[in-house]
Amino acid sequence: MLLCVDSDAAARTATAETLRDAGFTVAEAATAGAARERFDDDLEGVVTEQTLSGGTGLELVADVRDAVPDTPCVLFTDVPVAEIDTAAFGDLVVEYVPKDAPNARSEVVDLLNHAVAFRDQTAYPLPENEEARLAALEQHAANPGELGESFDRLTELAAELFGVDAAAIGLIDTHEQRFLACHGVSLGPMDREDTICTYAILDDGVTVIEDTEEDPRFAENEGLEAANIRFYASAPIETGSGEAIGTFCVYDDEPRGFSARDRELLSLLGDEAMEQLTLRRRLREVDDE
Amino acid sequence: MSDDRYGFEDVPLDTIRPGTTVLLAGPSHAGTRELGLRLLAGREGEGAILVTTNRRSRRIAADCERAGLRLAADSTAILDCVGGEDSDVPAQVLPVSGPSDLTGIGMRYSDVHREFARSGIDRIRTGLFSLSTLLSFGDLKTVSRFVHTLVGRIDSLDGLGVLVVDPAIHDDATISTLSQFCAGRIDVREGDDGPELRARGLPSQSRDWRGFDLAWE
Repeated sequence: MLLCVDSDAAARTATAETLRDAGFTVAEAATAGAARERFDDDLEGVVTEQTLSGGTGLELVADVRDAVPDTPCVLFTDVPVAEIDTAAFGDLVVEYVPKDAPNARSEVVDLLNHAVAFRDQTAYPLPENEEARLAALEQHAANPGELGESFDRLTELAAELFGVDAAAIGLIDTHEQRFLACHGVSLGPMDREDTICTYAILDDGVTVIEDTEEDPRFAENEGLEAANIRFYASAPIETGSGEAIGTFCVYDDEPRGFSARDRELLSLLGDEAMEQLTLRRRLREVDDE
Repeated sequence: MSDDRYGFEDVPLDTIRPGTTVLLAGPSHAGTRELGLRLLAGREGEGAILVTTNRRSRRIAADCERAGLRLAADSTAILDCVGGEDSDVPAQVLPVSGPSDLTGIGMRYSDVHREFARSGIDRIRTGLFSLSTLLSFGDLKTVSRFVHTLVGRIDSLDGLGVLVVDPAIHDDATISTLSQFCAGRIDVREGDDGPELRARGLPSQSRDWRGFDLAWE
């Protein structure tokens, strides 16, 4: 769903209609406050005027970046760029289209088509096979809750095996990582830009971060600090055709090393988790027949 | 997508597909910056947009002239994050409040790109000088989002992007992350007989180190 935010009813309707004609599902909001009510996981993009009742477009984008950070945002406005104070919002990054540009609404459609297809406002690189990866995830994670006990056992065994504080199994969807099992740590859904696993699935094989505070990608990560994570290792949970749909992770509250044998064993645990997911999928397929 | 590939005169590189952004990684003393400017020198009718984060417009304009990049106000823009109000530069100089204002850089970029396109310039080369400065003013996550968005914009508009970075002052994880947003990478080093470059990840390019000459004027 795209969110079209403009306090000028005629302009908002015209923009929303153009987007609907282009095949998007569109929700409209006349004020910044009403727009904030519509932030959720289905949000595919935001098109907003800079001058809004109840705030500015850039203030709204700042809230989008907090709530659903991957969302492509387009400032579609009557305000010339020279008159917009961007310095206070320097870290947001938005597309900008002035309403008086030739074919302005078509340009907004083109920008959103590209941004939604290629997700090019994320703050992290995407795997080259992201589309196939998400398709594989959908196939294997139809009912992940059914694996709770099996995965709980695996994470407990992993923590004991490696002598670490915690272990977890997580799946990485379009915008978030969701954990199927955690031992020694409690982790809710996390924005993809805030998880180490987002970067781990770009690697071949096991990823080891011996000290998260020494890695610029994670040194300022408040989630890791809150969970008391200083050491991280993970193996991909990967389909036979190479789509990493999740990770088998181990964590510790102190920096530490991880031997070649540890890597092999963690890789085996990742393979075991994948096999469990595959078996459950096959069972579901048999049941459906 | 256009098939009209971007070419480079007096640089040992094959042509590059429209929509491509490359990370140009090397130390400034080895001619990395000069090579970056040279890669923006296109044929008649092309445009160029430069983002300068650490040198005033007047200085980067002089660097452009030395690299053989002809400046003209109707086809060259300099997004100046340094300030200085230079008025005698033969290009559009567009002020941005500073290198931490990535939102401002992106919006100015879109605006001037649109203006060039409207005036009939449909091939635009973009250079960012440099990512290293952006990283010294902002965190990797924010710079990553900016780079990802810029690379997407260049891709959708069939442009050419050159993002300069000095790998010696960043750790491997930072360089690796930034590389992953780009279609390819050109490394620069100081060789025995002068500066050398090699291409990585770019189809049809040789991956061997090859010398290049900085005397383009």
